[in-house]
Amino acid sequence: MTFREINSKMVEATVTPGQKLFSQRGAMLAYKGEVSFTPNMSGGQGGIMSMIGRRVANEDTPLMTVEGSGTVLFGHGGHHVQVIGLTGDTLCVEADRLLAFEGTLQQGTMFLGSQGGVMGMVRGQISGQGLFTTTLKGHGAVAVMAHGGVFEIPITPQRPVHVDPQAYVAHHGDVRNKLSTALGWRDMVGRGSGEAFQLELSGSGAVYVQASEEKL
Amino acid sequence: MFRLQGSKVLAVDMTGDAVKAKNGSMVAYDGQMAFKKMSGGGEGIRGMVTRRLTGEQMTVMEVKGHGTCWFADRASEINLVGLQGDKLYVESSNLLATDAGLRTGTSFTGMRGASQGNGLFTTTVEGHGQAAIMSDGPAVVLRVSAQYPLTVDPGAYVAHQGNLRQSFQSGVTFRTLMGEGGGEAFQIRFEGDGLVYVQPSERNTIAGDV
Repeated sequence: MTFREINSKMVEATVTPGQKLFSQRGAMLAYKGEVSFTPNMSGGQGGIMSMIGRRVANEDTPLMTVEGSGTVLFGHGGHHVQVIGLTGDTLCVEADRLLAFEGTLQQGTMFLGSQGGVMGMVRGQISGQGLFTTTLKGHGAVAVMAHGGVFEIPITPQRPVHVDPQAYVAHHGDVRNKLSTALGWRDMVGRGSGEAFQLELSGSGAVYVQASEEKL
Repeated sequence: MFRLQGSKVLAVDMTGDAVKAKNGSMVAYDGQMAFKKMSGGGEGIRGMVTRRLTGEQMTVMEVKGHGTCWFADRASEINLVGLQGDKLYVESSNLLATDAGLRTGTSFTGMRGASQGNGLFTTTVEGHGQAAIMSDGPAVVLRVSAQYPLTVDPGAYVAHQGNLRQSFQSGVTFRTLMGEGGGEAFQIRFEGDGLVYVQPSERNTIAGDV
């Protein structure tokens, strides 16, 4: 594993020559060895087309490339950091929650409308995620930020999981998501339980949920 | 069944029973759940009037169903309290969830409430079952016995249970009035036999300013 959790809010990454890391710009806390940080104009991998794609999708969190040999400490804003290992599957995560990820992962942008049509777009708006989300695919590790720690809930075909959109952090695996509403007359008359909208995740995989309803 | 997942997430396994939880504190669930808004401070018309009068109108929802439900609120630390027929006094903003077997009500706190910056009333929880209370930072549980009374900063007080008498202490002197106070002008003193939950953080109170 490239990333090692030092404590709940910091990760240590080992960089070796020929191996690239991407991290959120300004998230480096300290480093040992010969490590160089290059701002990444295109905001991630891919060519100019991917860059334009990300700009349009508003998923272009400033990233930097970390190269060299040594160890780097990452942390940001006192947020809790969770390292997620990927083995060939796809992780969907909001770009501003990405702290760092290995260069072996393929970064992409996904249009939420492609998952669930119009409801997917509504979902993005309600959860404050916008219409696009970032996907990471391949083998490698990702460090994701969350407010108040993260816990993982496995999703199996028999057990779909419902998540509060504000507490949702990321998910991986073969998971379909849709926005489920529990709007009733109570919500209309202002007596709602505050849980009118939920993300319903079904399939097989895992979802990461934070212990807070605050966005980053 | 209440269990803690880490220190900031409460997981409740339900098999058709119901729990009461703070409005909007659900972060995830699996299985089938229904959410219904309720009102704290007691049931029925009497409860409604009390709530309106006391301002302790905690908005509570009733969660009912089969499966596991996870609750969390703004990354606060969660403490589980088991109640066996005794009474827990807690500020409504610090109460996350209670078993269906517990009754909630409102009680008058007097000067203590005013000094905490929480108003004059507090929420009581009684019956048999478990309650989850929140604190800013991990709470410590301090035992009060007849020989050892306890004095607490109003801003750091979270909850108490057992047979306790509380009195309000003020250390206001000439110096305080001159603006030279030590910042600890008011305290709550607990005497008797019971437990007091104290958080490692202080709310903004009048007492903290003088």
